[in-house]
Amino acid sequence: MSRPVLSRRSFVTLAGAGSAAAAFGIPAYIPRIGEAAESIKIGLLEPYTGVYAGPAENETHGFEMAADAWNKRGGIMGRKIELVKEDEQNDPGVAAQKARKLVNQDKVLALVGTVSSGVSLSVAGVANSLGTLFIDSGGHTDDVTGKSCHWNVFRTCHSTWMETHATGYSLAKRFGKRWFLITPDYAYGHSLETGFKDVIARVNGTIVGDELTPLGTTDFSSYLTKIDAAKPDVVLVLVQGDDYTNCLKQMNQFGLLKKYPVGGPQVELEPLYGLPPEARQGYWGIEWYYKSDKTLGKGNKLAHEFVANTIKRYGKPPTARNAFGYVTLDRLAQAMSDAKSTDPVKVARAIEGVHFNSIFNGSGYYRKEDHQLMWPMWVAKIRPDGSPGDKYDLFDVTDIAAAEAIEQTVAQKEQVCKLGYP
Amino acid sequence: MIHDLGPQLFNGLVLGAFYAIVAIGLSLIMNLTGTINMAHGSFMTLAGYLAYSLVLRGTSFWFALIAAPLIVVVVGIVVERTLVRPLYKREPFYSLLMTFGLSLIAEEVYRLIWGPNGVPFSPPASLNGALSLGFMSFPTFRIFIAVVLVVAIVALALFLTRTRFGLRLRAAVQDTEMIAALGTNTQLLYAVNFGLGIFLAGIAGVLAGGMLGLSPTSGNALLMPAFVTVIIGGMGSLFGSIVGGLLIGLAISLTTLFIPAASEVSMYVLMAVVLLVRPRGLFGEEGIFG
Repeated sequence: MSRPVLSRRSFVTLAGAGSAAAAFGIPAYIPRIGEAAESIKIGLLEPYTGVYAGPAENETHGFEMAADAWNKRGGIMGRKIELVKEDEQNDPGVAAQKARKLVNQDKVLALVGTVSSGVSLSVAGVANSLGTLFIDSGGHTDDVTGKSCHWNVFRTCHSTWMETHATGYSLAKRFGKRWFLITPDYAYGHSLETGFKDVIARVNGTIVGDELTPLGTTDFSSYLTKIDAAKPDVVLVLVQGDDYTNCLKQMNQFGLLKKYPVGGPQVELEPLYGLPPEARQGYWGIEWYYKSDKTLGKGNKLAHEFVANTIKRYGKPPTARNAFGYVTLDRLAQAMSDAKSTDPVKVARAIEGVHFNSIFNGSGYYRKEDHQLMWPMWVAKIRPDGSPGDKYDLFDVTDIAAAEAIEQTVAQKEQVCKLGYP
Repeated sequence: MIHDLGPQLFNGLVLGAFYAIVAIGLSLIMNLTGTINMAHGSFMTLAGYLAYSLVLRGTSFWFALIAAPLIVVVVGIVVERTLVRPLYKREPFYSLLMTFGLSLIAEEVYRLIWGPNGVPFSPPASLNGALSLGFMSFPTFRIFIAVVLVVAIVALALFLTRTRFGLRLRAAVQDTEMIAALGTNTQLLYAVNFGLGIFLAGIAGVLAGGMLGLSPTSGNALLMPAFVTVIIGGMGSLFGSIVGGLLIGLAISLTTLFIPAASEVSMYVLMAVVLLVRPRGLFGEEGIFG
């Protein structure tokens, strides 16, 4: 890099070659033999490479389960569902390219998927310009059903506002009103921050510390050393993914997990598996869980079958990500079936407002005004070692919150969200 | 904030020692054969994973700390003989491309073997916990990391200056043709040199796996700072890598104290300053150890 041979030119060539190689990925150019014309193709965009590969895989499993269930019953209007998968590599630019390819070349009738909020927004925009449906299964930022909402965009997982409100009240009640926040310094983190500030104001508490950490921080020590001086009642960890793992691991090494209760808006099983047991602590928001009546609903046959079939087919229990995938495709298929059409506008109208029962406790519906799936959210305490005989059983679900209690009201949303049906 | 300074300085030094060890490994490989090893991070991650798997099968952490890097060295030497050697005669660009491709393949292989999520690798209970120093507590593991890294660097220094092999290595860096003409088996030299660099990466990888998360993409985070360290310290100087690493470590942790958002940028700013003032790096092109 400082030798003349490795000049800018070499680097640019390398970068160009590298990204071109990455963008084209595995050939989807291999023509499909068989009844391609008959099937209903759904484009599935997930970050199969990169830091979110784990959740990507699980969402995909959920999608596959739903597709198979529908195909066993003859498909949608007699046509089989075919999932066309593309790797968006956790990159908004690549995702936009792949979305276009799926719609223009593969002729998919709808797009689903994504994990990272940035990617979800990118795909939502592209889908809107192409007039195609996009159901965001896993990207949480409020904007998808807020100021960047569109008539063709729906979202299955909970919004960041729902996450903060489901957990905030619970944490304040359980531990106290002096909060110390560790926040990832980008859009998702900021929206979580806004949500928690709203909650703390309502409960008359104070935020005694708010450390904004750059995305990808490996060393949290400088932020953690400030906790003692601030004397919080509870430490809220808002960072996700690798940052979450590093932060919790280091909090444990600094002895902070023994001194302070810890919690946060969301935790997923995928990063928890990567944490040593002694660092698995706290109360966290969870979006679904495979082993609790509170999350599945007592006697919910569909839910229990889903869990059992997932374990049988993939060797491990489903996480919330599986649930996102399953519910998304199941409801999309149902809407197409109800509308007796694959026309995006008709299907969108058939999705919104319809109450349904699925693999979670109670019923849910994609709200007409912003297309956010209104379903409950839960708070759970982590069981560091799982339960006897089940190392995956890491959550002890403690609270349930109804969607309407934790999401912004229709009136609030209508101020920022204009769906803009054609 | 002032009382934060002490702990932050220590954190900076530990971080810096990390970058230094990775940079030294990179530098060793680069100095002798001009090979740019973009897969260096992948070797680190491999060592971490192997240590995890060894401990899972019942060995002690201490055993894994030595065994995992050694296994990775074997892998490294195989890679060197089969993939790197054919490219010695070409521009460094080729090795950069090849090792870059290797790192992509490695990431997928790790994903296949150990899964896409992280694995829960942690130091043994004896190293968990913190040492209280009055004004703050220090994670014992970080102190351990600092000790191991210092020992490794000192051992390397002794090896390079006090053994015949080390002498030949340094001579080869200065003039490979001459030393070949004098009868040294240069192919053996290249292989051992590569292995040495990988061994250091391996040790760093096991330690990093304990302090941070361990996932298929772990290697990437430490690779870029290592390259920056080599640039700052100067190509061709191992001592420069040490100094460069410590400087970056301190820069990052002190910036985190005052302007957290700028902490990542600080090392690039440092690099830019060094390149402007002294393009060959602080100790560049003066041979090993000054």
